[in-house]
Amino acid sequence: MSPEMANAQQIATELMETPPSSAVSLQMSVDNYLEVIRGVIDLFANKKGMETIYVTATISSDQIKRVLEALDIDTSKIYFVDCISHIMMGASTAQLDDHTTVVESPTMLENLMLKVEYLIRRSQTKDKLVVIDSINSLAIHNNNWILSEFLHILVSGLRSREAYTIILSVEEHSTPDLNNMVSLVCDHGIRAGRQVE
Amino acid sequence: MAQKTPERERCATGIEGLDTILYGGIPRSNTILLTGSCGTGKTSLALEFLIHGAAKGENSLFISVTEDSEKLLANIIPYRFFDRSLIKSGKLVFIDLPIMYERLGLTKSELSMEEIELLVSAIADIAQELGAKRIVVDSITSVCYKLKTSEKIRDFILKLGKSLSDLNCTSMLVGEVAANATAYSSFGVEEAISDGIILMANMERRGDLLRTLQVIKMRGTSHSRAKYVLDLTPMGVLLVPLLKGGSTG
Repeated sequence: MSPEMANAQQIATELMETPPSSAVSLQMSVDNYLEVIRGVIDLFANKKGMETIYVTATISSDQIKRVLEALDIDTSKIYFVDCISHIMMGASTAQLDDHTTVVESPTMLENLMLKVEYLIRRSQTKDKLVVIDSINSLAIHNNNWILSEFLHILVSGLRSREAYTIILSVEEHSTPDLNNMVSLVCDHGIRAGRQVE
Repeated sequence: MAQKTPERERCATGIEGLDTILYGGIPRSNTILLTGSCGTGKTSLALEFLIHGAAKGENSLFISVTEDSEKLLANIIPYRFFDRSLIKSGKLVFIDLPIMYERLGLTKSELSMEEIELLVSAIADIAQELGAKRIVVDSITSVCYKLKTSEKIRDFILKLGKSLSDLNCTSMLVGEVAANATAYSSFGVEEAISDGIILMANMERRGDLLRTLQVIKMRGTSHSRAKYVLDLTPMGVLLVPLLKGGSTG
């Protein structure tokens, strides 16, 4: 692994230090995606016995599952809210999976919240983690006003349910507006990108 | 010094989001109009209201007007909280109104004032006999088609509402309106004489169709008047606020 990148263990260690109900902004470099996934899912959520609700707006849930399998990460406690497969006309395969709920479009932010709420209510596990992957992808489909309102309502709701929230953002694609929007709702920030010399 | 009006007893619907909107539930013995166009989730919401009531020991009655109740049950969302023993135990009862029409001899296409009285008292008798505390009529619009005039519709709903209210029943009358309707009911009468109106709709936003719910009025309680987006799930009806996104429209 390149020395300037934060590794999976460092990311997990930082997450372990955050109290329950925390909302964490995790800004990563595109090149560091696999380390971030390993750190968040395998070394943090799975290690703590948490159930993970993974909201994907970047790549399809099928692709992420393949990534997780390739990394040899246990997916039995991961539930996907897939906001991208339907608009890519590939929802039929995702819908067949009990671990995957499909939202028709990343513009249907209310439905995204409702699916997260449904999975939280259905869950038998006390500790939960909700991962938003990523704010940049959601920003492609939504304006900043609605996205900001969405984040505020979602994070407040998850906090009241004592769930961890991790909002992923991609360093290379972020804007100051987007960074401000995320930092406004998060208690902690983790950078897992290219460190400035 | 002015005395504070005592808070009315609530009939918690059991639908968490709706009870929050209503600050605890529907004021008990209110007759409310649950209205909207097709596919907006009216029947699912009404059924959930009854199932939650039955589960906590309040006898509940579903009067089906348009759909055979067997078929209705076959198509019901597989609610995780729905225990079919509620039906066996008589806590949750389904009645098909067309069968009642037949037994009461109400076979003509238009009911007279006397026949309306007969129908109302038959429904009230069943409610009393069952000790029902929650009633749904799905749909009141279909009943109204047999009444034809505004006077008869007004008379029917007023009498039905009063009879059920006297029995301390909280009732939901399901109304149907066209997708492009601006009124809350098909005949323009139902909305004026109900104690409350819950409007369900399909809202299009940038090509997406969202199911929405809004409480327009509810006598006996303060309530949110905002619009909410809903989802029909096996965990029941879930609601979140409609995002405004800085819109001024």
